[in-house]
Amino acid sequence: MTDTNYQEPGYADVNRDILQTLLVTGPKYWITFGISASVALICFFGPWAYQLYVGVGAAGMNRSAMWGTYLSNFIFWIGLSHSGTLLSAVLHITHSGWRKAIYRSAEAMTLFSLMTAACFVMVHVGRLWFVHWTAPIPNPMELWPNFRSPLMFDVMAVTTYLTASSIFIYMGSVPDYAAVRDASTGLRRRLYTIFSFGWRGTAKEWHTLSWAYMFFAVFVIPLAVSVHSIVSWDFALSIVPGLHQTIFAPYFVCGAIYSGTAGIVSVMFLLRKYMQLERYIREIHLDNLGKLLIVLSLIWTYINIVEVFTGWYSGTSFEYEFLKFRLFGFYAPLYWEMILFCAVVPLFMLHKKIRTSWKWMFIISILINIGMFTERFIIVATSLPRKFLPDAFGFYFPSFVEIMISIGSFAIFTTLFLIFIKWTPCVSIYEVKETLKPLRRDA
Amino acid sequence: MAKSILGIFQYEEDFLNAAKSLKASGFNDITLMSPIRLEEAEEIVGLYKSNVRYFSLTGAITGAITGFSLAVVCALVFILPTGGRAIIAFPPFLVITYEVTILFGVLATLLGFHFVSGLPAWRDKAYKVDTNIDRFSIAVDPGSDTDSTKIEQTLRDAGAEEVKQLEVAA
Amino acid sequence: MAKITDKIKEYTRPGYYEKFDYHWTMSIDLDRCTGCGACVVACQAENNLPIVGEKRFKERREMKWLRIERYWEGEYPNLKLKFLPMLCQQCDQAPCETPCPVAATYHNQDGLNTQIYNRCIGTRTCAVYCPYEVRYFNWFTYTWDEPLEQQLNPDVTVREKGVMEKCTFCVQRIRMAKDKAKDDNRRRVKDGEVTPACVQSCASEAMQFGDLNDPNSKVSKMTKNKRAYHVLEELNTKPSVVYLQKVEKHD
Repeated sequence: MTDTNYQEPGYADVNRDILQTLLVTGPKYWITFGISASVALICFFGPWAYQLYVGVGAAGMNRSAMWGTYLSNFIFWIGLSHSGTLLSAVLHITHSGWRKAIYRSAEAMTLFSLMTAACFVMVHVGRLWFVHWTAPIPNPMELWPNFRSPLMFDVMAVTTYLTASSIFIYMGSVPDYAAVRDASTGLRRRLYTIFSFGWRGTAKEWHTLSWAYMFFAVFVIPLAVSVHSIVSWDFALSIVPGLHQTIFAPYFVCGAIYSGTAGIVSVMFLLRKYMQLERYIREIHLDNLGKLLIVLSLIWTYINIVEVFTGWYSGTSFEYEFLKFRLFGFYAPLYWEMILFCAVVPLFMLHKKIRTSWKWMFIISILINIGMFTERFIIVATSLPRKFLPDAFGFYFPSFVEIMISIGSFAIFTTLFLIFIKWTPCVSIYEVKETLKPLRRDA
Repeated sequence: MAKSILGIFQYEEDFLNAAKSLKASGFNDITLMSPIRLEEAEEIVGLYKSNVRYFSLTGAITGAITGFSLAVVCALVFILPTGGRAIIAFPPFLVITYEVTILFGVLATLLGFHFVSGLPAWRDKAYKVDTNIDRFSIAVDPGSDTDSTKIEQTLRDAGAEEVKQLEVAA
Repeated sequence: MAKITDKIKEYTRPGYYEKFDYHWTMSIDLDRCTGCGACVVACQAENNLPIVGEKRFKERREMKWLRIERYWEGEYPNLKLKFLPMLCQQCDQAPCETPCPVAATYHNQDGLNTQIYNRCIGTRTCAVYCPYEVRYFNWFTYTWDEPLEQQLNPDVTVREKGVMEKCTFCVQRIRMAKDKAKDDNRRRVKDGEVTPACVQSCASEAMQFGDLNDPNSKVSKMTKNKRAYHVLEELNTKPSVVYLQKVEKHD
């Protein structure tokens, strides 16, 4: 590695260094937290309240473009959520050691972007006050949800994913909660005693935890794949040109992991910088994530080519019309920006110097996520206004309310994440120790 | 109140050797604590396969049945044909089955974890904070005073950094 | 036991209920259609459709369960104007019905594609899935200025914000005709007893409405016409609205 003067931390250093992220809170944290919480309140909940009062008409959606940025934000956040659990679980069962320092923050990203995504479902529906009818619970109309609907798949998938990933991250943190408990006093100690279930680190506890954790990982992998496939079926089960494509499930899953991995890189950069975790989050992680990103970007590019090709090859006027609108219409600049950011820019990572440079990787990861955000927007905004009947061809442009809510969602995510890093050690203490020199005489 | 002897070790080998010799002298009720997972320690106390797996399997099977029946029953309680599809349509219902399988599997695994590991256990137990940082420790429940001297001797011989007696709730 | 297996077979077969009690069908003869828009106005009056105003109209949020699509063909001076009245096609294999998570839209035994306003939560998925774009969403709660609220049809509800709505084939009139038939001890509604508002108001009698299950009804005869076709037939939605092609002179 490039850092030749890197000194491996001892076991006690790990505890000290990582716990200080929890126990020591500077003014910078409070300022960031204050800003993000107030932005969330003003940009997300304010406009949402207004929209609830007047109706969904506050958004820019209209006939033929019945879906808009709410849905594209929903996909974006669900996509971002695939970073964590999937990556963490896959790397766990393949015994990849480099996962250990980064997986906790990746899983936290999963959990909080899922929550943000769930907010968008609420924002999207026309009558929020009846949204509980989608749950299979008895209601006065004696009607049950329609399980043939792709939206019901979504309800089931997102609920399961939310449950499974919160259990996954919680169980992985139990030994660390014990570490926090041991290092703290007063109310915090009492709270973490409860969180840690009275963990002592006995052989029995480790044994059970590792087995249970493996099962969680095994359950979570097919779940994560299914969740984004299901989200893609919200689109692909329609007959709208540009949405009705069999490649959508792999496309969405690949895109989700892609944007999620890029998200991890950005979060890692920030954590490392502001939480003094240079000794734990290292270039090797960056290098490996960079390689993963290159592979994902190539798959993503391939699927995009296939998408355009099948549209052209179908030979139907509907597909032509939609492709013309997407590639050369009003939103063409966004489309080509997406291609630039998600297919061309990642190729720079082929160079090792760039792949191991924090600054460059941060910039690239942000660009990838901007590209992926526009991808989701384009899927919705260029397909729906060009369906079948030319008379109903429309146009969609997000309204002020929608733009504010989209900005606010980033603040919600940041706020939740900031709460998290003061609640759970954002680098797994016990698993980092496993990667260090063992405490043996012969070591 | 019961007594418990706690031996604290700095090195993994010493810790494992002490555990082995205690086992050999017939002390079966020993608790091994370490800051990270040690598969050797698990083997010494005789842990190979965890019963958590039965919970996961049962949960997943229950989930599959529940998921499918949920979809079927919901469709039959109030028959509402949609889009020319069958009332009991297998492809969509299998998606629901899949999700509920995983949901129940995960929940059952969680239950299994608590059941098998005996956590949460918030009672006071033989424990020293260092074992969660960079020390290994063995807690033994001595039957009698003669045993306790023997245990202490074994622990010291194996290279324990510290040996102490603790009073813990039974 | 045999009963149960029969039930299972019935429920697992696609196209369950494909044999409807009635199969309400509309035929629209494009050769007769003058594009006058009387049907649009009649629909507006009958079904309590809100008047959204110029601003909302420009935002493409108008409420017209029936609209007349206007297509220009050719270049000036050989310009041709064609009209296509577009309303809910009441598809037998409706793409819009399956995605509703709360079953707010389903197929009833008359072969109608129904929309239950009370049940709708406004995910708008049905409208996205509909290839004919005939579903209209209540973006706001629309109100009627005095004294316009006096002309609301008492047989039809008014809808609140966040609810999807669409052409019902004037289900209230079908309901009334069925009740009348029952009062008169008749098993079925006679042909011509039900006329939706648009059919009733069509000056050139371009629209016909009736039961396709009755082989002698006017509309059944219309569907056997050589000019009959469905819009976007290739999507296999099996619409219940039959269009009769415009007769064109070829030089």
